[in-house]
Amino acid sequence: MIVVATNVTYLLAWSFLDPRSNYVGRKPPLSPEQIENLLRPRNLDNTVPLVERWWTWLTGIVLRWDWGVSPTGGSVNEQVAYRMWVSAELVLGATIIMTLLGIWIGVYTASRQYKLGDRIWQGISIITMNINIIVAALAVVILAINFNKWVGTRVFFVTGSSSEGVTGFFPVIVDALQHLILPTIALVVIGYAQYHFLQRTLLLDNISADYVRTARAKGLTKQQAIRRHALRTSLIPVATQVAFSIPGIFTGAILTESIFAWQGMGRYFLTTINGNDVHGVVAVAAFGAVLTAIGALLADIAVVVLDPRVRVS
Amino acid sequence: MSTEMIDPAVQPPVGPDTTAERIPGKQLSKWTLYTRRFMRNKPAVAGIVIFVLMVIYSIVVPLLTPYKIDDQDFMNLSTGPSPEHWFGTNASGNDNWLQTAVGLQRSLMIAVTVSVGVTALSAIVGTAAAYFRGRVEQITLMIIHFLMVVPTFLILALVSNNAGGDWRVISLAMIFVSWFFPARVIWTLALSLREREYVDAARYMGVPGMRIVLRHLVPNIGSLLVINFTLGIVGAVGTETGLSFIGFGVKAPDVSLGSLIGYGAASVTSAPWLFYFPALALTLLTVSMALVADGLRDALDPTSAAGGRA
Repeated sequence: MIVVATNVTYLLAWSFLDPRSNYVGRKPPLSPEQIENLLRPRNLDNTVPLVERWWTWLTGIVLRWDWGVSPTGGSVNEQVAYRMWVSAELVLGATIIMTLLGIWIGVYTASRQYKLGDRIWQGISIITMNINIIVAALAVVILAINFNKWVGTRVFFVTGSSSEGVTGFFPVIVDALQHLILPTIALVVIGYAQYHFLQRTLLLDNISADYVRTARAKGLTKQQAIRRHALRTSLIPVATQVAFSIPGIFTGAILTESIFAWQGMGRYFLTTINGNDVHGVVAVAAFGAVLTAIGALLADIAVVVLDPRVRVS
Repeated sequence: MSTEMIDPAVQPPVGPDTTAERIPGKQLSKWTLYTRRFMRNKPAVAGIVIFVLMVIYSIVVPLLTPYKIDDQDFMNLSTGPSPEHWFGTNASGNDNWLQTAVGLQRSLMIAVTVSVGVTALSAIVGTAAAYFRGRVEQITLMIIHFLMVVPTFLILALVSNNAGGDWRVISLAMIFVSWFFPARVIWTLALSLREREYVDAARYMGVPGMRIVLRHLVPNIGSLLVINFTLGIVGAVGTETGLSFIGFGVKAPDVSLGSLIGYGAASVTSAPWLFYFPALALTLLTVSMALVADGLRDALDPTSAAGGRA
């Protein structure tokens, strides 16, 4: 499926992007031949039949793992290899934190159904879930700027994923955290609520089940019964949900990255579309598809771990 | 199957009204019941009040304000909220109060168009796939599963960037990339609907397939469609804002909430009001719609316990 989707994106990208238009309006103007000479070695010349371009592109990937070059001649491989770690840091970190937070709040509220704690979290979650990622990210930026002013030093960095010239093991980690924390907060704030609601509903379905009552009858406390018996069964659908929400988080990361000026895949996506960089756009799409696949794989593993009825063959 | 069923003019025999015995007092009509259950959910009522106020604001303000959207006030360049300009002005002296209203209007128009389109398309495709079975069902599901893998946000960005900011093209593109998830859900529901007796009855009466789908299957998932519609508005506003923010959606001179927030984000430290007001409008819009959807779910779901008695 990843292969098919990537190929379709390649064809779609060609029907919307035209690398030739990058050279329109150059001073001094370039002749069509000059443009062709620039584009043909990069496999971006649209006078070559589309099938031939596609074949060159595909064989390049299959035989040499070469994802092509941008209209300016930069290698897509290099860009992606650097940027994917920047994005992965953000997307994976945020996914893990929001899942754990959502599950924890879900368990907390389900064990106190219709009490004050449940009501308050319900109210908070329904609002945060419907705040737009842009608004959340910018609000976080404003708060951080005010916090920095109030403290007097730069605790949080609002732009970039790391600072220049930081060396040593611990300084690098501290620096990375100072940059990472704000975009992660923005992603977590808008993302955790769906797991909260899902976990709460599922746990409430299970909390009155016979086996939980049996566990209570054996002498377990309510907390133990929920944690060991009810939670385990109700985690399974949540795990599947996490896998399918990863593309959405990636889309959210496109916006967060452009607000926080991270040089990740999301930023790359914007640059490539604006620069008519067909190969770059396709690489981003493939990256998104791979993320989805990894998510699905992780979900399967989680289901196997959680559900004793599923056996790995 | 008696011969009476074939003649549509003959009314089916009506049994004794058992519901009247169970509920003492006056029989409620369907709509009174829905309204009463909806009104019981206080956040949902607040949501619909906020939503109606926002719609009025977005329609009335552009009509009543003495100046137009592109009028510039050179005495007030990038000034904060004042009695003259309630929401302040931007760097070229445009009134933010008016711009927010127009942006909200544009965002709402896109959102409603997309949500209507998505709801209608997903309902028809989902139920038709389930009703016609066989080849039609297989092909539809194949297309749906394929679209689920394709990076839709990328396609959306490509199409709308190419359209040069025309909101109608953007709406169509958004319908195209968002119909298949609800269609899949509706297909699952319609799997059980297609086995119902009234569907068989209609088929034996010789009603054509498409008409059975539209008359018998789609109305039976009506409550789900209403909820999908409200949630669709929330989703569409979010997507449109994202697109316009990164510059692939609505483009100048047209404004939407997304492009206004994008403009405000650039000057978030020097002129924060340009960000605050559109962002507030956006948040109020999505939160109120979500509350309304929640209330509708309680009101329309016959098994819901939140409705209380009646």
